[in-house]
Amino acid sequence: MTVNRRKKPASVNPMKIGQSLGAVLALQGCYRAMPLIHGSQGCSAFPKALLTRHFREPIAVQTSALQEMDVIFDANRNLEEALNLVLSKHRPDIIGIIGTELTDVAGVDYQNMLKTYKRERNMRGGLAFSVVLPDFRGSLESGFSSTVEAMIDEMIQQVGHRGSRSVNTRQITLLPGSFLTPADVMELKEIISSFGFEVIALPDISTSLSGHLLTGFSPLTRGGVPLDSMLQSLQSGLTIAIGGSMERPARRLHNALGTPYKVFEGAMGLKASDELLHFLHQISGEPVPLRYCWQRENLLDSMLDAHFQFAGMSALTALEPDHLYSVSGWLEELGVEQKALITSYETPLVAGMEREVWVGDLDDAEVLGKGADLWISNSHGIAGAQRIGAAFMPAGFPVWNELGAYMSVSVGYRGAMEWSNKAGNLLMQREAGHRESSVRHR
Amino acid sequence: MKHSILSEGDEEPMDPVRKDEFDSEACGSIAPKAKPCPRPKPGEAAGGCSFDGAQITLLPIMDAAHLVHGPIACAGNSWESRGTLSSGPCLSQYGFATDLTDSDIIFGGEKKLKESIDYIAERFAPPAIFVYSTCVTALIGEDMDAVCKTAAERIGIPVIPVNSPGFVGSKNLGNRLAGDALLQYVIGTGEPEPLTPLGVNLIGEYNIAGEMWDIEKLMNSAGITVTSRITGDARYKEITWAHRAKVNMVVCSRALLGLAKEMESRYGIPYFEGSFYGAKETTYSLRQMAFLMNDREMERRVDRLTEREEARLSQDLRPYRKLLKGKRAVLYTGGVKSWSVISALKELGVQVVGVGTNKSTEDDVRRIADRVGDDTEYIPEGGASRIIKTVRERKADIMIAGGRNMYVAMKEQIPFIDINQERHKAYAGYEGLLRLAKELTYSLANPIWKLAASPAPWDKEAHPYDR
Repeated sequence: MTVNRRKKPASVNPMKIGQSLGAVLALQGCYRAMPLIHGSQGCSAFPKALLTRHFREPIAVQTSALQEMDVIFDANRNLEEALNLVLSKHRPDIIGIIGTELTDVAGVDYQNMLKTYKRERNMRGGLAFSVVLPDFRGSLESGFSSTVEAMIDEMIQQVGHRGSRSVNTRQITLLPGSFLTPADVMELKEIISSFGFEVIALPDISTSLSGHLLTGFSPLTRGGVPLDSMLQSLQSGLTIAIGGSMERPARRLHNALGTPYKVFEGAMGLKASDELLHFLHQISGEPVPLRYCWQRENLLDSMLDAHFQFAGMSALTALEPDHLYSVSGWLEELGVEQKALITSYETPLVAGMEREVWVGDLDDAEVLGKGADLWISNSHGIAGAQRIGAAFMPAGFPVWNELGAYMSVSVGYRGAMEWSNKAGNLLMQREAGHRESSVRHR
Repeated sequence: MKHSILSEGDEEPMDPVRKDEFDSEACGSIAPKAKPCPRPKPGEAAGGCSFDGAQITLLPIMDAAHLVHGPIACAGNSWESRGTLSSGPCLSQYGFATDLTDSDIIFGGEKKLKESIDYIAERFAPPAIFVYSTCVTALIGEDMDAVCKTAAERIGIPVIPVNSPGFVGSKNLGNRLAGDALLQYVIGTGEPEPLTPLGVNLIGEYNIAGEMWDIEKLMNSAGITVTSRITGDARYKEITWAHRAKVNMVVCSRALLGLAKEMESRYGIPYFEGSFYGAKETTYSLRQMAFLMNDREMERRVDRLTEREEARLSQDLRPYRKLLKGKRAVLYTGGVKSWSVISALKELGVQVVGVGTNKSTEDDVRRIADRVGDDTEYIPEGGASRIIKTVRERKADIMIAGGRNMYVAMKEQIPFIDINQERHKAYAGYEGLLRLAKELTYSLANPIWKLAASPAPWDKEAHPYDR
């Protein structure tokens, strides 16, 4: 099917999140990392505030704090200053320099500057890379995957070409997409390792943004995958990517090192979980662990219980491309009518979907989804859902109207069951609300 | 005349601000002579940009449309992030953006801006549209002023350009530039209805968590009317007649002092700077209003009201003051709040042992000095680690700062109160002080601090000899 766009000049109630925020998110999943945004102060303050609000955790990020005159004369002086300060003060293991629309439009060549900087300072032992992510292209999802790609590139540069590679066939590199919560990443790691594999997630937000009481506050990231594990991941026998956007970084590993890869486009619902577990069963030769067999039964039973609730119901979904694909697959299994599917920008995955997909904003969601019973989007959708009278289910990024959203599981049988119950409960409460309001008080 | 004593000492409330004191360092439309805003330090910068600041000031104009001219993230990452509340219209809570793409940037986005303005005017029929420039549109030299001017003529409603792209400077500068836009395009363009009683403009009160409503209620019970709210829970129309007010009060935002000053020279409206944090400051502000209104009867009413309110508050506060007495706090917030909140805390018996002076002016610092003891540490800069160091060294019981530092405090297991624009609790006025006392008590007394500090039982067993 085709991807459509409603004709209107302005974006009204945007759901799109800048690419650079995706990059900051990706770097939170690396241990002792510092994302450095090459732009004006707001370019880092907004993502920081938004990520803090969603994850309820401190977020590591710094900025080159460009001002007008810096952009006109020498923006790289600021970057150099920022690098000097960050390196001497915090000694991060990983630095990701994120170019913004400001440096892009001004035509600042900082990649070259970074190369010279690294050579002159004799920087070794750490990982420093840059990635260009102007906000007038792509969205959170592309910013996230491009950053992982740039990270992998740099790793390959550093060690990949050094002689022959000893492949560890019992080790799998997991590339989790930007739509997965810390709890999702943890669940995926558990599922894969339950078949006897070592898993290195790249990046790994499950140990950095899941909420922990590790040794107090640090301006750098706490938790996440450490640099030596990252480098060790180059020896993995297989790459598993979750989400269509993660195929490019997986392909990068394949092209440079010959690591085979498998992309799971969706990770939600019975079918997607079946596919993942069946695949793991086949490549490992191990039986599917009993707990997943149980979870499968539990899921089917809860879907059976809930199917009365979902019958005749319709939903509108407004999420980032990969997430939209996943959630749409799950809704399909519940038999819910899908009134409208809205996403932030076009990717091959959503373009190839069998349903009609719209690229747009939350105002489009309100218009196209009129009459829907369930509204699934980030927290910006609350007002719109209220206006069209739909039950609101927060998902994606950012979610601020619910505690523990970052710990909710959507992948695997358990995730599908949690989501089904949650959506069903919301619809039930909505129905109860309708009944109550029809009672006349005298 | 003495009132019930609420605080430990009985120092005067903030010293009356005489207008001539500011002549040497006026800000706003007049360039500051004393010192320009400091350059943020790359690699150590914190806080928002000028675009953010301009939006903080203007978004509380609730019935207007606010259109961001630039790539999506400037609007997409920031809308619905501020805690300003509305009592009615909510168009300002809509996120509007021209959402420029690469080709718009190459060929120019003015056409898209024009179309966006027309679209919003037609579909939402707002009383006015504010258009914000961003770094990129400023960099490629979009002539926003011209587009806005012709659009205003075409569609017949004010279209106001706000030239405050992020890279011109700090959040504070953005507040000022927004004030400039109001002076240039809004204030003085309308007239109040003939029978409207005129009174005080509240400048720099953004109705965070509904604080404005508490303040307005107080003013009304003393018979003082609000002419224009600039801009907490404001309607566009009321700002157009702000020049008819009798008094300007600059509430807790030095950034808009230039606006008050300019209104004094243009329209002859006297102004004063005051705060509503703490009972004393509140009483002082109300009295100052009545005094500048030059109305004896009103002054008497204010006296009666404040006396009654203070007495009642003093009664209500008793149980909390007992618990809070001697507690130590580190306060890290911007500008004026750094001193005005100190007064509020002192009235509760809380000692401020460390205070941020990051965004404070010299005057603010002087006022801080007047309010704290000699052993209070000043935190000029350095971000989260520096604040925590002060908390530890000064053995503070609680940290009071903005949302950005909230989870920093949580990681260190330090009780925390959010005092900035994202918060959900109103702390202004007499009611507000009581609320602050309650929040401080809830926060300090929560069982989580003990639970989180004690290890799991098996960890207790594992290292019996380690300590």
